[in-house]
Amino acid sequence: MKWLLFAFKNVLRNRRRSLITIIITAIGSSAILIGGGFALFTYEGLKEGATQGSGHLVIAHKEYYSGVEENAMQYGLSDWQDLKQRMEQDEHVKRVLPRIQLSGLVSNGDRTNIFIAQAVDPEGEAKTREIVVDKGEWLSSKQAENEDAQVLLGKDLARNMKADIGTSLTLLSTTADGALNGIDVTVHGIFSTGVPDMDERMLFITIPTAQALMDSQKVSTLHAYLDNTDGTDIVAEKFHLQFPDNALKKWEELAFYYVGVVNLYNRLFGVLGLIIIIIVFFSVSNTMSMVVRERTREIGTLAAMGTLPREILRNFVLEALVIGIVGSVIGMAVAGGLIVFLENAGIMMPPPPGRNVGYPLLVYFSGQLFLMTTIILIMVCVISALLAARKGIRQPIVEALAHV
Amino acid sequence: MDTLISLRSISKTYHLGKTIVPALQQVSLDVGASELVALSGPSGSGKSTLLNTCGLIDTPDEGEYTLAGESMLSRTSKELTLVRRNKIGFVFQSFNLIPVMTAYENIEYPLMLTGMPETERKKRVNEILEQVDLTQHQHQLPDQLSGGQRQRVAMARALVKQPMLVIADEPTANLDTQTATNIIDLMKELGRRYGTTFLIATHDQRMTERCDRKIILIDGKINTNDIQLSNNAELEMRGNA
Repeated sequence: MKWLLFAFKNVLRNRRRSLITIIITAIGSSAILIGGGFALFTYEGLKEGATQGSGHLVIAHKEYYSGVEENAMQYGLSDWQDLKQRMEQDEHVKRVLPRIQLSGLVSNGDRTNIFIAQAVDPEGEAKTREIVVDKGEWLSSKQAENEDAQVLLGKDLARNMKADIGTSLTLLSTTADGALNGIDVTVHGIFSTGVPDMDERMLFITIPTAQALMDSQKVSTLHAYLDNTDGTDIVAEKFHLQFPDNALKKWEELAFYYVGVVNLYNRLFGVLGLIIIIIVFFSVSNTMSMVVRERTREIGTLAAMGTLPREILRNFVLEALVIGIVGSVIGMAVAGGLIVFLENAGIMMPPPPGRNVGYPLLVYFSGQLFLMTTIILIMVCVISALLAARKGIRQPIVEALAHV
Repeated sequence: MDTLISLRSISKTYHLGKTIVPALQQVSLDVGASELVALSGPSGSGKSTLLNTCGLIDTPDEGEYTLAGESMLSRTSKELTLVRRNKIGFVFQSFNLIPVMTAYENIEYPLMLTGMPETERKKRVNEILEQVDLTQHQHQLPDQLSGGQRQRVAMARALVKQPMLVIADEPTANLDTQTATNIIDLMKELGRRYGTTFLIATHDQRMTERCDRKIILIDGKINTNDIQLSNNAELEMRGNA
């Protein structure tokens, strides 16, 4: 304890220099925490979006992801209701939703456009994911028999088709047998995804509508939503054993955007973090080198009195430890304050490339990140002190005592 | 009187660029326990080198050095450090006190190195603070003390662990006459009390006059036979203390 007290007194010896070093360490610490926290917030948001979209696990026909279909729904799931029931029996599965992916042409009589559709279970999807319906309402499986099937159009597709709520359109696609088929639909709502390319092509219909259009009782995929994303691997293991004849994909295998952003941010923030650590290292190293040089005679005195080199080294390491701890604590406080400020400020980030909707600027608080950053910065301080002090204690005592 | 320091044919040469400077040449010397020995001589005569050799902070190129009957020159650096820690005290010309430590902490430092329990340390430090008349200044930092007070702290620091040998390099050089006289008397008194041998490099006439023996070094050699300054009776008394 007394050695720590001496270290603290030594840090206060040249207050201005120590303060600058502490400030640099604090800035480094808060920069890593804020940058890392922002990256974690982005990952979390994208992960949530990805798992909401695809579910945590997707089961499909064995060839669905690897083969090329000659006819529509060739690699669809015919026994999907039985599969769905068995999947739902797992205690971690909250919901299993069937989906059909299809494409074709949409026409209003005057104008025809390509569409990419997702046929869904409207009630199940409504409970699971958030689709922004700008106009009208989300699909419903309860509709009168004499009514046309419902369709939900992407906002740009609706604009191109000059469609509004209640507009009748015709969807054209190929059946499972390869024949061309058409079905009349009524626009029930208009939605936006925030991705212009999607809003220009995409539409939602119900599973029975798609099955009628494709003349097939199959679905493309089954999407399992779990009670906890962290449990994905465990349930995936079970499903692998339970459904060996089907293809199984985890959410991150389908979340290409998420994986791309994670890889990009990890490198970007990793390099930035490394630069910050190097700056802190050289700052502390520079300070400690000056301290050691200034105290050469003191080192000689301590050595003459019988202080072992490692004990002298310990004194300098303790000083670096004080600088590292104080700097990290200040950095944590600054980062914590900024996290709270951003939570309440409501600052928006501009839309990322390929999107037309921004997102809130928030920084994720991660205890693990705080702990790791503090440990790394303290270690950097200690290592730089060790390297700087080693030179000083290697000097012969007589030379050290004669140092002016 | 037992021999504490025994030097035999000690030589040391420094290389300053292409110039070879013989600092000590075949020096042989015996110093008894509890002796107060003054090392005198002109600048560059080898006083400091001899002092550093005896204090185990410098190693000779050749010769034999025995401290309290144990050979020192074959020891490792760590062993020498531990000998210095337990058996040797140092008093420097510029005091060399640790600026962030109070007078009390400076004196306590050598005892902390030995791992002495705090209660024992406190007792020892308070005792020696009283002897050097610095009890009132114990909480002051070195830069809040006068030169004489600082040198008394340095002396207390050297003596607090009750070493067998104290090496003092020009301990009165930076002090005025009155303070220097006080320091010399204090050194003699404490040496007598703790039975410590003092080896003092000095130009100070006041100092050499008060020592038991004066050794003059010229060009790295002991110039003449030792000059006995104190009577043998006093030395006997100090030896038995």
